[in-house]
Amino acid sequence: MSLTLGRRWPASYPLALVIALLAIVPVGVLVGLASDSAELFDAHNLRVLSNTLLLMVFTVLGSVAIGVPLALITAYAQLPWRRLWLILLAAPLAIPSYIGAFTLYAAFGRGGEIQQLLGWPMPAVNGLPGATLVMTLYSYPFVMLTTRASLLSLDASLVNAARTLGMSIAASLWRVVLPRVATGIAAGALLVALYTLSDFGTPAIMRVDTFTRVIFVEYNAFGLSQAAMLSLQLLVIVGLVLFLESRVRGNKERPGRHLTLWPSRGQKLLMALVFAPVLVLAIVLPLLVFGVWLWREGTAGFDASYAWNSAHASFLAALVAVVLAIPVAHAAIAGRAGRFMERLTYFGFGVPGIVMGTALVYVGLQLPFLYQTLGLLVLAYVLRFLPLAVGSVRSTAEGLDPSLVKAARLLGASPREAFQRITLPLTIRGMVAGAALVFLEAMRELPATLMLGPTGFETLATYLWRMYEAGYFGRAAIPGLLLVLMSALGLALMLSGERRAEFDVTGK
Amino acid sequence: MQRRAFLHNLAAVGAISCLPMSIQRSFAAQAVAVSVEQLPKLEGEITLYLGRGEGGLYENVLEAIRKRNPKLNLKIRRGATAALANSIVAESKAGVKRADVFWAVDSGAIGLISDAGLARPLPADLIAQLRPGFQYPQWAPVTGRVRTLPYNTDRLTAEQIPDSVMALADSDLSIGWAPAYASFQSFVTAMRLLEGDKVTADWLRAIKARATTYAGELGVVMAVERGEVDLGFANHYYTLRLKNGKPDAKVALGFTKNDAGCLVNAGGILALSDGDLPINFIRYLLTEEVQSYLASEAYEIPLVEGAKPPQGLPPLDTISPPKIDLTQLADLRPTLNLMRRVGVL
Repeated sequence: MSLTLGRRWPASYPLALVIALLAIVPVGVLVGLASDSAELFDAHNLRVLSNTLLLMVFTVLGSVAIGVPLALITAYAQLPWRRLWLILLAAPLAIPSYIGAFTLYAAFGRGGEIQQLLGWPMPAVNGLPGATLVMTLYSYPFVMLTTRASLLSLDASLVNAARTLGMSIAASLWRVVLPRVATGIAAGALLVALYTLSDFGTPAIMRVDTFTRVIFVEYNAFGLSQAAMLSLQLLVIVGLVLFLESRVRGNKERPGRHLTLWPSRGQKLLMALVFAPVLVLAIVLPLLVFGVWLWREGTAGFDASYAWNSAHASFLAALVAVVLAIPVAHAAIAGRAGRFMERLTYFGFGVPGIVMGTALVYVGLQLPFLYQTLGLLVLAYVLRFLPLAVGSVRSTAEGLDPSLVKAARLLGASPREAFQRITLPLTIRGMVAGAALVFLEAMRELPATLMLGPTGFETLATYLWRMYEAGYFGRAAIPGLLLVLMSALGLALMLSGERRAEFDVTGK
Repeated sequence: MQRRAFLHNLAAVGAISCLPMSIQRSFAAQAVAVSVEQLPKLEGEITLYLGRGEGGLYENVLEAIRKRNPKLNLKIRRGATAALANSIVAESKAGVKRADVFWAVDSGAIGLISDAGLARPLPADLIAQLRPGFQYPQWAPVTGRVRTLPYNTDRLTAEQIPDSVMALADSDLSIGWAPAYASFQSFVTAMRLLEGDKVTADWLRAIKARATTYAGELGVVMAVERGEVDLGFANHYYTLRLKNGKPDAKVALGFTKNDAGCLVNAGGILALSDGDLPINFIRYLLTEEVQSYLASEAYEIPLVEGAKPPQGLPPLDTISPPKIDLTQLADLRPTLNLMRRVGVL
């Protein structure tokens, strides 16, 4: 496309530029709001900052401590039912962390579910340690999956050489393998950091004053300018993490046959004993707690319209996101300027939902026809999750062989016909995958939905939140289980992508 | 009884509310209060901002009103009372109007709205239904609540409860509180108005050193009952509701005398739009049925003339609340700033 157009701008540029500018509007709004009489920094901020950073650092450390050994095991160890273990160990990704926080909070502590059912007194899970535990349980799979992907791309011959030279297995893993997957670990760790920074539900339920929670408190007092100032401070940290992430480059090692470990029966047992608690806490416990609540209270209070509202709004968001993603993806392929525009749209993904909510509430107040409408909520979803759609549309479009379109044109097809008969059918899979990802993320989104939803518009996530706040825990079972189910579908999508990557390495 | 079982009982109460309201009429005292039968049917669309705090009980009342008035399209936006009050003010500043009525669980939030000049005046006959002392031109108190000191009866006796809430700062009791809860913040506002900012700040600091924080005041009362703390700060009805589900609960109500510790506060409703529909909607909340439902199930104090007070609460005239104009409690911003400054929020 860029060849034939010569010096003129590619056709997708103007549209992509508009969308890219739209994507950075929220930040502009925040800057405008914050300049309006907000206190820049006080002692309270310092506490919030340190809580946020501590939670981030502890969660990253915890995720690395759990994720890296699990990556080694799932990548190299010959275990029965390997595929099943991988799916189970990645499954916490399918559970929004606020659901985990909710159920862990309810299960532990005096008078909690565990004490009621089994009579064992349990320590309470709350505060910074509680939040760290929850965030670690639900974000270690990021580290596990990125590390595993790097491990699978390594050649075993270096380890074999080390072994031949007399190094033990443990020592060679530590000194030969791990340094080569450091970038994989770092990539996962940065994802964890980003996720921790943007999460709202977990710190709120665990009662830790992180940026997201304090922004919500300020928003509730309608201290919009203070909320905006805090949002910008949070964005600075997010921006830093995003920058670090962009600096992490995968290593380019020529792949070979990868390592295989044959653990003894005792070692297998030891692995199971060490990692069983992770699965029990992250998956079994929440499902059990919801099961108990469902059995005890039934489906009282739940209305099918909540599920419909969730699906409806998320579907609209997915549709709009894909439509907007097409010009952006094409611009990104067309040239450097387009690539820059695409980068701009990625900003939204780094903006936590609560920050997006704060900005768009203000936009809505200025544009009353948007305030408290479904349109504004969908816009928030689109701005946040557009990069998911762009990424997936772009990667399929990049794989497209341009000579096919040229051949069609040569044979007399109009550009329109060539698009309809060649380009579209070949990229539709990427569009569907992108739409599915946006749909699932929008379904789970909590704070922006709370702030922007129309009056009386209750989704699974907001209903769950309301039941938590009112103390009617039992009624959270149905929306909780539905959300987990929906997210499990998203995980299935992700894992199928990962399996493809594995084939690329081993199949050739 | 355990925490969940108690909540379960609350949910069962929800089922009762589905029964026709007329059954509950038989409980009413000499009916001076208006009955729903006498009210016009509600028709049209109305948006209610509902400051929550009472779990499902207000929802049950609204559901009953909906059932009775099939032509009413009632839209409800829920949120923390203070948050909704702030939203209403911000919306009006931006020239956006969404709410027609605002039902707040706290009079401080009501004051915020009427200070901003957004509340519509109420008709005289509606105001006349309310108890003397609770008649305001721009808003209708729906129910009242008293600040109390629920205490664990295994650990303390009534004589050990100090007469003054200020004296608690010098005691060695362990204390449970919920500083994020709107009623607690109104209580601190009352203390600020009565004792001054500095005394209040010192008091908060001293209590903080021995206090355990809970998410809500129901949590406080349950913690007192479990013996996690000796005594707590909570509205009266949480204790009465707990004792209703569990008659042998180890918790009793303590009252201070003539200070913020026994403030009588009210939740109320106001109209933000002109017209009959918002006013008639408010009338429904002041009916004998709703008032006695809130008294018998929620243990709130009915503020309509002729409705019976809840069981288990000492008569209002034996309590000596401080003299304070409830709408003054709207002065919430300085309270929040003060609480944040001493690090309790």
